[in-house]
Amino acid sequence: MFEFSLHVATIAALYGLLALSLNLQTGFAGLVNFGQIALFGCGTYGAALAFNNQFGPVVGLLLGLVLVSLVALFFARLGRSLGSDYWGIATLAIGQILLTIATNETWLTGGAQGISGLPQLFTGSTRLQGHLILFSVTLALLAATWWLFHRLTQSKFGLSLRLMREEPQFAASLGYDLDGLRRSAMLVAAVPAALSGFLFAHYMTFVGPDQLFSTETFVVWTMVVIGGLGSHAGVVVGAILTQMLFAAVPFAKDFFALPSEYVAAMRLTLIGGGLLGFLLLRPQGLIPEKVGSIRG
Amino acid sequence: MVEIALSAQKLRKAFGAHIVLDDVDIDIARGSIVGLLGPNGSGKSTLLNVLTGFIAMDAGQVALGDQAIGALPASEIARRGLLRTFQLPRMPTRMSVREVLLAAERSDAGIFAALVGRSLRASARTDELLEQLLLSRVADQPASAISGGQKKLLSIAAALANGPDILCLDEPTAGVHPNLRGGIVTLLKQANAQGVTLLIVEHDMAFVRNLCQRCVVLDRGELIADCPPAELADHPRVVEAYLGRAAARRVATSPEKPPVKVPAEVRV
Amino acid sequence: MVQFLVDLLLRAGDIALVAVALSAGYSLVKFPNIAIVQYATIGPFLAYLIARSGIPFALAVAAACLFVGVLAVALNLLVFERLLKSGSAIAMIGSLAVGMLFTATLLVTAGPDTRHFDFAITALFDVFGSNVTLTQMISLAMSLTAFILLALLLFCTDIGRCMRATAANPNLARATGIDARLVVRVIIFLSGMLAALGGTGIAIKSELNILLGPDLMLPVFAAAILGGLGNPIGAIFGALVISFAETLAAAINFGPLVGQSFLFIPVNYIAAASFLILVVALLFRPYGLFVNEVKRV
Repeated sequence: MFEFSLHVATIAALYGLLALSLNLQTGFAGLVNFGQIALFGCGTYGAALAFNNQFGPVVGLLLGLVLVSLVALFFARLGRSLGSDYWGIATLAIGQILLTIATNETWLTGGAQGISGLPQLFTGSTRLQGHLILFSVTLALLAATWWLFHRLTQSKFGLSLRLMREEPQFAASLGYDLDGLRRSAMLVAAVPAALSGFLFAHYMTFVGPDQLFSTETFVVWTMVVIGGLGSHAGVVVGAILTQMLFAAVPFAKDFFALPSEYVAAMRLTLIGGGLLGFLLLRPQGLIPEKVGSIRG
Repeated sequence: MVEIALSAQKLRKAFGAHIVLDDVDIDIARGSIVGLLGPNGSGKSTLLNVLTGFIAMDAGQVALGDQAIGALPASEIARRGLLRTFQLPRMPTRMSVREVLLAAERSDAGIFAALVGRSLRASARTDELLEQLLLSRVADQPASAISGGQKKLLSIAAALANGPDILCLDEPTAGVHPNLRGGIVTLLKQANAQGVTLLIVEHDMAFVRNLCQRCVVLDRGELIADCPPAELADHPRVVEAYLGRAAARRVATSPEKPPVKVPAEVRV
Repeated sequence: MVQFLVDLLLRAGDIALVAVALSAGYSLVKFPNIAIVQYATIGPFLAYLIARSGIPFALAVAAACLFVGVLAVALNLLVFERLLKSGSAIAMIGSLAVGMLFTATLLVTAGPDTRHFDFAITALFDVFGSNVTLTQMISLAMSLTAFILLALLLFCTDIGRCMRATAANPNLARATGIDARLVVRVIIFLSGMLAALGGTGIAIKSELNILLGPDLMLPVFAAAILGGLGNPIGAIFGALVISFAETLAAAINFGPLVGQSFLFIPVNYIAAASFLILVVALLFRPYGLFVNEVKRV
């Protein structure tokens, strides 16, 4: 039971990183990213490709960061001429294209089978100890990202992102370069997403295309909307809550003796219902964004 | 020799077959306050949009001092010191008035500045400015929730935050409560005294006479007059543009005081 | 060559109905409704269910389309119009959530298995030397009929004029006495019906499972965006372009180019062709092939 709780907590922390990342893009910069999981995938495949070519995790980490920067810059470039809903569709399409490549270029990515056998990053005297260290590292990374993003969004940079989110034309009329802001926001937000993917890959010891389905993006979206767009604390709470609910699904299935397709259906209901319910009934989320907290 | 702050040559803009700006030339002296007048649909707002890069022109040149800025994006033009306000300023819903004012000043807006701690320090200046704008009471409310006049005031203050060379204003007092108009006039006079050149689209003649040394008048995309505000009422083409041909003939033929007067608020 | 044209037309017919539904809905309710592709999944499932109880196929399809049309109107009223007040992106996320709930419902009720409509006659017809099945003919006929009826409705009736007027300028239309709410309901109803019909056309030709809708999503969005979102007739052209690209990519033998006798693009990449067209279109012609960008200040 302890091991299971540790697993849930680790996954929740990894998703917390993804939620903070999406929140900086959508909650602050107003960038409706439906391809968030592609940023995560840069991290996982960075690790996997390095491992497959006999390089160590450091190379994998760097490769992931390079890949994620390229994808983030391309996303930002697309945002130049698009409204937020169109941009959402474009990012979704890019996510699907990257998924198609990952599934079909078997020589590079292992295809649908993926790449397995990645080493654990931390080996304590027992497997459990290794996992404990990994969880601590993930937690520290989550805290650091939270602190960094809090600092960024409390600064002039954060104010300019929010101005772009709300009134892009007004922001441009004051001299803010929206392309530049978009680029910075995407690049900064992409890093924790890729780090999350990198840690996930080594924790699961397996990387495959089925980890990159667009449903995973919407899981992160649910976390962010439940927690509260524009609230760092909120989205981390959202990530923890959602993961706890997901963890309960298999127990519920056993308890009610339901067939296995109910597990998938229950997950979908949790994501879809959570998203829809909050959007309709409490669009500001559990912990709403604080307006006017910056007093200069 | 007067130094030219902003000059535009042969500006041309058409929306489809409809020509909105027809070879407009305009020079604006540094430190002056120029009124831009004309009936509705004469191309004033389009001229402002073209000058500040918010609409791409079809042909022509714009120079800020001695730099050509015609092809630059709007934000770059603003960074070089040519700013503008909007006729109906839209303000953020999820930012307070104070936050908008803070965001307006662009210094230290990068990621680096945020990280090394040169972020926002408590500044008495913002409080002072809010006080002067009579916005202290609403400083912590969402910027979208204040009145239209207050939004105009806030948007002018925001545009002035980075010390522009030139500020173009699109109807700064239209629809503004009389109590706030004085505040806007004071703010603009103060800015001008500090060296900011002003180009103001306005319908209120009292405001124009009070503030502007010079007026340019557009009609159907053409520049038809360029004179001090006092001479506008005698200018045949201006009268024609506002009141029709018959009135213009009477102005042109009568040697003494014209029988028609341009009303205080001309809006045709 | 004839085979190529037949394949092209069949694929275009599939995409076009749903793309037209998406675009028509967008013309009045301004957000990209992702749940449209789920309407295209629910339609054939319902038709399948109804047809199994012994009701003739045509009647079953009609009933299913009617039901989905009503469902679309109800969802628009209860969910999307409320969400749209917070912006089109929020409404789009909401439609995504609705789509997930539909998938969950289908998983529980119908299950993940693949089904087939059973038609007694599966004879092949010879059309100028290429083989066409009966179901393909039925599907194509359904698409064509739907398009002709839609065009007649839009361009030859009063309600069609009201719809176009409302799409162009809702406030003005309201001021001239058009009941904009009624027009919206009619259009949303029609878009639900069209999507259901499109899904049924696909299901009778190949197979029916819960992935039908999700698989359609990007080709349909690509077609609708190419045609200019909000322009239903443009969506048909968009669908032709997408199908042309897909069919061409599948038919060309790239072997001689690289010195092999046979080299075809893998099937999975052909699906990605439409995603790629979508991204390229968004990069260079974000508001469709037929519209030049108008910058408003």
